[in-house]
Amino acid sequence: MSTDHDHIQELLAGHALRALSGEDAAEAARALDEHVPACEDCRRTLAAFDETAADLALATPPVAPPDLLLARLHRDMAPRRAARSWHPGRVMAVAASVVLVVGVTGLALTRGGGPGSAQLAAADLNAAIAAAEAPDAETRTVGETTEVTVPDGFYLYGEDVPAPPPGQVYRLWLWSDGEPYYVGEFLPDDGTVAVRVLVDGEFDDVVVTVEDATTEPAAPGAPAWQSPAPTAA
Amino acid sequence: MQDVAVEDVALHRRLVGGDREAFDELYRRYSGIAYGLARRLTADASLAQDVVHDAYLALWRAPEAYDPDRGAFRTFLLALVHHRAVDVIRREERMRARTEKVANLEPSASEDVAEAVTDESFLVVRRQQVRVALGGLSPDQRQVLEMAYFGGKTQVQIADELQIPLGTVKTRTFAALRKLRAALEETE
Repeated sequence: MSTDHDHIQELLAGHALRALSGEDAAEAARALDEHVPACEDCRRTLAAFDETAADLALATPPVAPPDLLLARLHRDMAPRRAARSWHPGRVMAVAASVVLVVGVTGLALTRGGGPGSAQLAAADLNAAIAAAEAPDAETRTVGETTEVTVPDGFYLYGEDVPAPPPGQVYRLWLWSDGEPYYVGEFLPDDGTVAVRVLVDGEFDDVVVTVEDATTEPAAPGAPAWQSPAPTAA
Repeated sequence: MQDVAVEDVALHRRLVGGDREAFDELYRRYSGIAYGLARRLTADASLAQDVVHDAYLALWRAPEAYDPDRGAFRTFLLALVHHRAVDVIRREERMRARTEKVANLEPSASEDVAEAVTDESFLVVRRQQVRVALGGLSPDQRQVLEMAYFGGKTQVQIADELQIPLGTVKTRTFAALRKLRAALEETE
């Protein structure tokens, strides 16, 4: 095995344990994109390390989750509602809508003395629309959605928003001083997006990307939508 | 084990078609391991429930994310749970106090025995094999694996905490995983 392979497979070991950061994480991502798919040896090593890492979970005794957890899952797995249409002139006739949010994590923006913190949560569509129709509302377009500023952050909402490809999710990032900060991820509910982002701090722009749901949001992928172009990182 | 893996793939195929019973069966099979792992990492029952909830919900909503050609379903699911748990603890500064609780791979004395569940039979054997394989690692190798996998620490953080070069952490991690893999392959 060449030195390059040694180095790449060393990265794959750290990757399997989710223990890479900074340049190592970036280098591993490049190797996974460019080298590994074409290298049978590295593909085998990656699969073996992934499997071994998963086996490590067995070193911890299993613990029965609370019964309520499955009930909570069943509730959140409820069938999607029938599609609706929304017209700005008939806002009050629109039923409350809440976007289905996957993996809302309540992220911290505070990265090495970053600008603050932010959280993403499902929101009521009517509340977002009402905020947008206030006399002094500040709104701007973010791709398929509208951003409405409120005192503690902003709403992002839209209708007829296309679903991302299977296995992918929308991820919302805030841009501050040329740096991206991950906030959370979401999926449209019958084409409707209505999320509320609570922000404690300053930011410049909103960027929404489409990314693989199983990958770590280490760095933003290509923007799907964005408010006025973010400052380059 | 092989039969179980095949069954898992069949259940996953049904899941892609929206079969809730298949979802429930995959939950029954792996939620105990998933929750035990998430609790171990987060040292917080509420956060652990969120981790398992989010992982299973992501599976329900985007089952195509698992590709049977790339490995076993169990590997995919536990990686999903582990990744989400690591993400949570890295974002939850208040969880840093849990460090001492995850310092070894043996069952914790504080583990809530009343909540312990019995493994599926196929996992009992594998669990024992994993423990034996871990016992074959050097203390240094076990230490970096524990800190990374159960502590959710990056290799840079591990190097910093142990006051050793980053290259040494990488080398030990690589050697540990290779040795573990080789030991487990012998048992298959």
